[in-house]
Amino acid sequence: MTAAESSRRGTQPAVVARGLTRQYGRVRAVDGIDLDLPPGRIYGLLGPNGSGKTTLIRLLTGLARPTSGSASVAGVQMPSRANLARIGYMTQADGVYPELSVWENLRFFARLYGPIERSALTESLRLVELDAAVDRPADRLSGGMRRRLSLACALVHDPEVVFLDEPTVGVDPALRVSFWEHFRALADAGRTLLVASHVMDEAERCDVLLFIRAGRVVASGSADDLRRRAGTPNLEEAFLRFAGEAGVGSAEELAP
Amino acid sequence: MNLRRVASLTRRIVDQFRRDPRTLALLFVAPIFIMALLGWVLRGQANPQPRVAVVNEAGTSAEPVVDAIEAALADEGGSIVGVGSREADARQAIDERRIDVALVVPEGFGAGGGELLVITPGLNPPAEGANVLAVQQAIAAAVRSSVPPAMAGLVPEVRHEALYGPADADQLDTLAPVFVGYFAYFFVFILTGISFLRERVGGTLERLMATPITRGEIVLGYSIGFGIFATIQVALVLAFTVLRVDVPAVGPVPAWWFGLGVPVAGSPLLAYLVALVLGLGAVSLGIFLSTFARSELQILQFIPIVIIPQGLLGGIFWPIETLPSVLEPVARALPITYAVEGLREVFIAGAGLDSPTVQLDLAVLAGIAALFVVLAAATIRREVA
Repeated sequence: MTAAESSRRGTQPAVVARGLTRQYGRVRAVDGIDLDLPPGRIYGLLGPNGSGKTTLIRLLTGLARPTSGSASVAGVQMPSRANLARIGYMTQADGVYPELSVWENLRFFARLYGPIERSALTESLRLVELDAAVDRPADRLSGGMRRRLSLACALVHDPEVVFLDEPTVGVDPALRVSFWEHFRALADAGRTLLVASHVMDEAERCDVLLFIRAGRVVASGSADDLRRRAGTPNLEEAFLRFAGEAGVGSAEELAP
Repeated sequence: MNLRRVASLTRRIVDQFRRDPRTLALLFVAPIFIMALLGWVLRGQANPQPRVAVVNEAGTSAEPVVDAIEAALADEGGSIVGVGSREADARQAIDERRIDVALVVPEGFGAGGGELLVITPGLNPPAEGANVLAVQQAIAAAVRSSVPPAMAGLVPEVRHEALYGPADADQLDTLAPVFVGYFAYFFVFILTGISFLRERVGGTLERLMATPITRGEIVLGYSIGFGIFATIQVALVLAFTVLRVDVPAVGPVPAWWFGLGVPVAGSPLLAYLVALVLGLGAVSLGIFLSTFARSELQILQFIPIVIIPQGLLGGIFWPIETLPSVLEPVARALPITYAVEGLREVFIAGAGLDSPTVQLDLAVLAGIAALFVVLAAATIRREVA
């Protein structure tokens, strides 16, 4: 079956990686990762700080070039500038302009992606519940509000594949729940989400988890599946078990 | 090249400036403030009124000459101080700051000419040069008045005419045109450098690179955005330099004026164009150099490396032909050099767009700007972290 055929049937993987490797000096930040992620699901990229989550996302979005291996998103080989219009990327930093208002920030990013209707901007802001603060400068927003603005900027062009790097850091529990409801709605609408996190309780909300450690995927599957295979009721212990089996050392810096 | 994306970036830069009134003030008010100060200092300079001692070691035979010189000095506003009759007395008087300049008529002077000695403190040679000149003029006047009328024609008088502009053009008339360009260059460089640095360290560049925008579109969007502000700045500074508005006295407020009224022999629009092309080059220079900075402070560290040497070598204060031979080729590689030349040609010599010099200056400035556009675009890589 060719890629074009599978695309027509809607079963083409949203994200593919083959032996994806990125070396910085002597450190392999990403070390031979293979991925085949079907669309319409939420994937959780779980691992401690420094395990290579951000580098993997930057390789998949084409922001970094692989030392070896290849990646494609939505059927297009990365890096591809044109394909970025179909990809959303919420960076770990907020990445918004502090002097500009909520509206100006969103409009700026929207226009870089394509001609976007005013109503689409309004809808994006409504979804992250910022419609009451459209004229407020970003530097006068609370941390959680800035995070929501950052999310709106990543989703404003209705991307097919969304990469979210620690989207809920500094976000209060109520807002975190609403973020995940939003993510679920996107997946139900056929979008593919890859969420990097080091918070294990968020992992429960993902369809598929990818445990990443020292630049390698040490295990993948649903949360229940991983717990069962590890023989533990606890995801953290499961992570440590798989990391140990993969011979990539202890995970002492793993966040609780 | 997608114009919608370029326009979006331009609009964003304009919006950011609108929300930062202090930076706008820096951009528009600061250069006018400095220009006004420069005008005040250079135009309001008092004529030198040196305290002079004439020491006569030659005795009575030289007295008529000494009297004539003293009379001529007094005519020009100098004050004559008696210190004694020996050269050592004059040196001591200068050392004690009782006089600014001493003229010593040595022993034996007059018998078949001879040498006169002028002594100054040497603390501020340029300022003392004016005092020495005043003494020389007094000597010339004394000589003319002391020779018999029949021989007066033998003593030459020097008259100075300038091909361009008045011979008595003050320093401001030659400095102000150049500063119009220099300000644009300086402020645009600092502001673009810092803006782009913030883009790099604030994570927004990473985010920009995750959109379909190209590097060329970023440099173009920045150039247009900052170009708009450079345009306004150059227009304001140029207007302040060229115009002079007199305000009549109203009630207790005495008559006053603003603007420097520096004469422009050529087209102010052409001067504007030269300054603007220079300023546009500063946008890509700022983007390029922001790669080598990690903080705003490090952008400011480029001032002594990039801005001040150009001020010293670019011909603003000293003609580049008088620079040491090693530095002259360096000066020829600096954009300021060509802007200085072009602005002076237009302001003072009245050159137009048909002047080969102005054409060359504009071409070189545009070429340097283009070079830095390429360099700036090369530094904006998708890989930014």
